[in-house]
Amino acid sequence: MKHTLEFREICKSFAGVRVLDRVSFSVEGGEVLALVGENGAGKSTLLKILNGDYQQTSGSYLLDGQERHFSSPQEAIAAGIGLIYQERQMFPDLSVAENIFVGNLPIRGGRVDFPALNRMARELIAEFGLPLRPGDKVRDLSVAMQQMVEIMKAYSRRPKVLAFDEPTACLSDKEAQVLFTLIDRLREKGLIVIYVSHRMNEIFRLASKIVVLKDGEFIAEHRAADTDENRLVSEMVGRPVGGMFSGLVRAEPSGEEILRVRGLTGRGFADVGFSLRRGEILGFFGLVGAGRTEVMLALFGAVPAEAGEIELRGKPCRIRRTRDAIDQKIAYCPEDRKQQGILPLRPVRDNISVVVLRGLCRGPFISSRRENAFARDYVEEFRIKTSSIEKPIYQLSGGNQQKALLARWLSAKPEILILDEPTKGIDVGAKAEIYRMICDVAAQGVAVILVSSELPEIIGLSDRIVVMRNQRVAGELDGRTATEEQVLRYAMLDNREGTT
Amino acid sequence: MKESKLREMSRRALSSNLLGLFVVLILMCVVFTILKPGFLTGKNLLNILTAASLSGLIAIGESYLIIAGQIDLSPGAIAAFAGVFSALLAQRGMPILLIILITVAVGALFGAVSAFQVNALKIQPFIATLAVMSIARGLAYIICAGKPVFISHNTYIKIGITRILGIPLPVIILVVMFLVWGVALSKTRFGRNVYAVGGNPAAARLAGINADAVKRGLFILSSCLASLGGIILASRMNTGQPGAASDVDFDAITASVLGGIAMTGGTGSLSGTFLGVLILQGFNNGLLLLNVSTFWQDVARGLLMMFALTFDFYRKQRREG
Repeated sequence: MKHTLEFREICKSFAGVRVLDRVSFSVEGGEVLALVGENGAGKSTLLKILNGDYQQTSGSYLLDGQERHFSSPQEAIAAGIGLIYQERQMFPDLSVAENIFVGNLPIRGGRVDFPALNRMARELIAEFGLPLRPGDKVRDLSVAMQQMVEIMKAYSRRPKVLAFDEPTACLSDKEAQVLFTLIDRLREKGLIVIYVSHRMNEIFRLASKIVVLKDGEFIAEHRAADTDENRLVSEMVGRPVGGMFSGLVRAEPSGEEILRVRGLTGRGFADVGFSLRRGEILGFFGLVGAGRTEVMLALFGAVPAEAGEIELRGKPCRIRRTRDAIDQKIAYCPEDRKQQGILPLRPVRDNISVVVLRGLCRGPFISSRRENAFARDYVEEFRIKTSSIEKPIYQLSGGNQQKALLARWLSAKPEILILDEPTKGIDVGAKAEIYRMICDVAAQGVAVILVSSELPEIIGLSDRIVVMRNQRVAGELDGRTATEEQVLRYAMLDNREGTT
Repeated sequence: MKESKLREMSRRALSSNLLGLFVVLILMCVVFTILKPGFLTGKNLLNILTAASLSGLIAIGESYLIIAGQIDLSPGAIAAFAGVFSALLAQRGMPILLIILITVAVGALFGAVSAFQVNALKIQPFIATLAVMSIARGLAYIICAGKPVFISHNTYIKIGITRILGIPLPVIILVVMFLVWGVALSKTRFGRNVYAVGGNPAAARLAGINADAVKRGLFILSSCLASLGGIILASRMNTGQPGAASDVDFDAITASVLGGIAMTGGTGSLSGTFLGVLILQGFNNGLLLLNVSTFWQDVARGLLMMFALTFDFYRKQRREG
């Protein structure tokens, strides 16, 4: 009998916000189902419902025709659901055998039965035909082989369904081939395979069925043989452009070139080149892992670049540490507000003044009067909602924290402002304010680099759009005429032109 | 206007726990005075402060380091080394200023070694300074061949016994150091950078702060203060003792945490630490006056440390809750 998995009208809401809306599909043993959609389409949420991490708000989840409700991943594993996460969850100093059977180690006389453990592992490795020994230490294996161990671990629990979340994100092309062969084998064994990936060629290599999601909605289900890449991309995009951008007035940027980057290469990006003019908003789009943040960190001197040239105001320039970048009037407002942005326990005032503190000192001492006046001005100008400038910043809402960070960087009077996901996780009202702020800043002649994963934001604000894919620049588009579809084509498809 | 300022000040005092510390201090004084009427005399208070002169100086460096997310276990051993080392210099009849300068400079090297381990080798400060502690203590014994070094240097001895307006010089040095470094922490860019590095190292770096330089400065500061404290201690005892100051690190850390320096870094103030030092030394002194055996004093100090950490835990809960 073939296993079957069916989702019927699955909905999921968080605090009243619907992130999955009536998603339905069914898949049976021996099939590979691919889930596609851009960032935030709901793929990860769906996987979390599958493995019991989340529970659906409504709709039915049927495994082998029986309705199931898992209240935890443990229950889902027991029922035969295996999920291979993006980040490997291994014990690097234990052996391959121990990692595969962790939690189910064979016991004899109160101790681990190592001969039996190694025999079981050897059988499993032979079954998959992998070049591994049970006693190998996981730390010494390649990333790909570590992933194979993870898959064998899931497989050793005799699952009915195995789901993969972006499994090739950290693999080389050759390593990915090994993974594909393995997935073929899992399919032949009658497992249900669910595969989430951004990469179109992989999807067509593996999948028999493809489900397209957009903004949490079910868009279409195809047999892989009956569709193609272009059609999928068109289905992923095409939402009404929000009114948020229509009121923003943008003049044609006419400033001279301030920054030119050539062949910039480092950890996570290669051969990146682009130019930037004063008063321009340059959008940087790419899917997760495309290398955008890494480029910006190198430009800002936070991580070293290995090769390439940076030309600032027409002169070659070397930026070795963040202070150099700040002295060169570059500002970088990071993606992860909590980890890289705020000084959580410090007052709002200190958080705003930290970059320009030098200018607020009299002799060796900070002038409290000047610093307070300075902070109050910015709190007012940026409409940061706080009862006092003395309040620790962690007590503010996400949107107000973000505005305080923008104030921090704009107070340094930058000529180049890099904003990395400036509206991530903040409410709509604060978003609109931040968009207006970005346009105001550009109108004053500041060159803005806007890194974002939100297509409407990139298209609505940018004069030009650089799209990155797979650690490289995949193309550059005119922001006035670009469509979501074009941008996504560059970000996802392998043909460099990306045109229809 | 004046009233609102007053309210703001009282609010700040409450939120930074200074008021709570005052209450604890007063309560302690009341209890000890009832048990031993001699506790609350001017003479005994000066005794307490003099006894605090070493652990208090070390607590300054320790507080700075804990705020920056670090810790230092070596100052006690460095103080012992500095005591012996300076006593040896004194035997050669060097002028006192030169003795102090050379000793503090040599002591600073220990801090530089700790900083190198932490910055370049990415070793946990706990382990890095544990290694330095062992080295400093060992060297203290080696340079004097294990025997205490007697000091007959006239000006050297005066450090411990000079009084200005009836106040012992070590107490004056302690108070002045607390004032200077207290102001440096709250009113200068350097102080702000210390908070930033401890509160969120990644954010501090992206804001253009050289976190490694800040940490290096602090480990060196800590070892310099320990060296100064070691000289003062040797002067008070007339000898450089290689085994001296074995538990001052413990006292300094307890005083810092008691005073509201969060073990997780990023917050606290030196005024809190000063009150922490007073409470801790008052407590030690009170137990001494009551003739509690030294073994039980150790137990009591351990309990005080546990009390301080529990306090720290609840403060953190309230911040995050």
